[in-house]
Amino acid sequence: MSGVDAARIETAFSLSFHILFAVFGVGMPWLLLYTEGRWLKTGDASWYALTRKWARVGAVLFAIGAVSGTVLSFEFGLLWPTFMATYGGAIGLLFTLEAFAFFLEAIFMGLYLYGWKRLTPRAHWLTLWPIAISGTLSTLFIVFANSWMNDPVGIGVSHGRITADPLAIFRSSAGWSEVTHMFVAAMMCTGGAVAAVYACGMLRGRRDRYHRLGLNVGLWTVLGLTPVQMFLGDWSARVVATTQPLKLASMEGVYQTGTHVPLTIGGFYDQHTHKMILGIPVPDGLSMLLGYSPNTKVTGLDTTTVADTPPVAVVHLAFDSMVGCGMLVFAIAGLAALTWWQRRRKGLSPRIPHTKFWLWAAILTGPASAVAMLGGWEVTEGGRQPWIVYGRMLVADAASKSGGLGWSVVVTILIYVGLAVALLLILRKLATGAPPELAAADGEDEPKPVAPQAEEVLA
Amino acid sequence: MTAVNLMLVVIILALLAYALLAGADFGGGAWDLLAGTGKAKDGAEDQRKLISASLGPVWEANHVWLIFVIVCTFSAFPAAFGDIATSLELPLALALVGIVLRGAAYVYRAYGEGASLPDQWWSRIFACASVLTPFMLGVSGAALATGKLRPGTSPLVPFQSPFTVLAGLLAVVVTAFLAAVYLCYDAAQQPDTHHLVAVFRRKAIGAAVASGLVVLVMLPFFYHDAPVVAHRFTDRSLPLAAFSALCGFGSLAVLWRQRFLLARVTAAAAVVGVLGGWAVAQYPDLLVGRYTAQQAAAAPSSLDAMVVAMVAGMAVVIPSFFYLLRVFTAPVLEEH
Repeated sequence: MSGVDAARIETAFSLSFHILFAVFGVGMPWLLLYTEGRWLKTGDASWYALTRKWARVGAVLFAIGAVSGTVLSFEFGLLWPTFMATYGGAIGLLFTLEAFAFFLEAIFMGLYLYGWKRLTPRAHWLTLWPIAISGTLSTLFIVFANSWMNDPVGIGVSHGRITADPLAIFRSSAGWSEVTHMFVAAMMCTGGAVAAVYACGMLRGRRDRYHRLGLNVGLWTVLGLTPVQMFLGDWSARVVATTQPLKLASMEGVYQTGTHVPLTIGGFYDQHTHKMILGIPVPDGLSMLLGYSPNTKVTGLDTTTVADTPPVAVVHLAFDSMVGCGMLVFAIAGLAALTWWQRRRKGLSPRIPHTKFWLWAAILTGPASAVAMLGGWEVTEGGRQPWIVYGRMLVADAASKSGGLGWSVVVTILIYVGLAVALLLILRKLATGAPPELAAADGEDEPKPVAPQAEEVLA
Repeated sequence: MTAVNLMLVVIILALLAYALLAGADFGGGAWDLLAGTGKAKDGAEDQRKLISASLGPVWEANHVWLIFVIVCTFSAFPAAFGDIATSLELPLALALVGIVLRGAAYVYRAYGEGASLPDQWWSRIFACASVLTPFMLGVSGAALATGKLRPGTSPLVPFQSPFTVLAGLLAVVVTAFLAAVYLCYDAAQQPDTHHLVAVFRRKAIGAAVASGLVVLVMLPFFYHDAPVVAHRFTDRSLPLAAFSALCGFGSLAVLWRQRFLLARVTAAAAVVGVLGGWAVAQYPDLLVGRYTAQQAAAAPSSLDAMVVAMVAGMAVVIPSFFYLLRVFTAPVLEEH
């Protein structure tokens, strides 16, 4: 394995691992703000129980996100020394801001998780705000740094060193489309995971109020955001078409530059013949999507050399997984809206029936959102190849020349897989259903105000 | 002061915060490992409980200081960052293994209820990782001073001098010292942990003596393996070194008289003296013989933006941090 391959594998692996857990650090605090807020307002013990449970889950996920994030900050230097030596100062400001955001998050996380006995209920709820806001700001700063690698705006040279104009970075449309797309993806992943867990519980016969509320919060988050995400995705594609035409061509497997370019659904791209195999073409589709006219010209991969072509087969597959999973959730959302409206007219409750079909649909939204999110990252990163900073520095030139990276890849994967398995076992154990004191409320839809039980500090 | 020097000061202050705050956390892990040995065998679980409770709310925030040091280094001194990271590849990678396993083991033990591995296993992993990380970071820091690091040299170079290995050992012993002093005060606060005061007092005194001994053994190797920095150390860092020694002896006296809050101050001051002395002696070099801070610095406009961000960020983070510390030293309210 060459140094570049090792560096790429290790980065891809540790980045995916980190993102998969970091999204909960972004999404969970916003959901907790809602559930704990409902408890403060109503005194309903089910909201309290949900909050306590999610805080525990959030604590574990946040810690794993934090340590895997630390690994990434070291890996910049360990794996990509030349990239950092040249552009470290240029993107440094974004990372410095992110460090502060993360700092604030960790401080208030400590207050939130261990402050049940030490803060008044209202002060305790208020500590969630800095967590939620700084988690969101972290997404903003980090994704802006990534979008700068895709669309390096505002580059200058001062005293022989590369600079990036910080204000220009924040004006880039590539940045804003990427950041908003990622933030909504993080919320959808969190909502989908929550919906999946409670739907699973209900399929196993735990049909109490605690589960119904949990399912609702998760399901409405993921379903409600899907239309927004479709709009943001469409915007992102348009921005990519102007800033990185080859990435867009790879996403769709377009070889020949021209007008009347079809949109291909599914299929595989053959790197030798430059043809799509087994795909379903929608005539003029891509031209219509990008310019609202079949005469819109789309840049194809024939405009570049083989060496500068992204791995089209992979990028197209990743793009289709993202769009496919997104469409699935969107379809569920559409059907849910229709059902909700019909049952509301007939005065039926619950608005979304807890039938097997709907519970399975809810379960599907979890993995679908996660696959879409990871697929989207592969499109972003794979579609930028062979560049680490688009048009300026090649990945091959940025990587470490060290010979020991093979070992480092093996150890990283072993440790992370071990930790992920342990984490899944722990999360499974935490999913034990409603706490016993809520059992009496089983089957009723009326809130049951129970004086919250004193628990262990860590509970 | 130039922006370059200002960023150096920020990095050193963050490093000091990391050494003192996360250092005490790491030392807690070391004592967790040793809780079951020696005369205090019966109270082992009590000791572990006290250690775990004192870490809980703060370890994640303390850990961020390291991320902060890394981010500031690559933002302000990008040219040196890649070389430092690749030439310290092995110790830094092992430190990372320690950081990841430690954080994971801590939360898995606290929240896992034995669902994945038995709690004792996570305890051992947590404790071993708590020793591994400061050792590797100590080796890394000392290796910067030797002047033998170059990109492309063998990954074993950082371990090939007695000075760097002893520096790793010193880091472990010092974190143990900080933790024991910290826990003495914590144990004295509650009646149900009062019996642990004597245990941690004994440990604190032992670790203080051990730190002094390691320093004495290390000194000749320091001159032999890192001559440039060592000579600057006896020259311009002498006041700081003397201050550190004074505070070290002072800590012993204060611990003897059971003034635990004051002991925290003197212990911290002793560590600040040593680390500050090293930082002053290392200046203006980042990687001795290869990069000075000035040579490795980012473009002036980037540095200026960073300094502005630093001021604004600290204005938000520092009050929050003190609020965290205040809440967890105040008396407990009723749980809701």
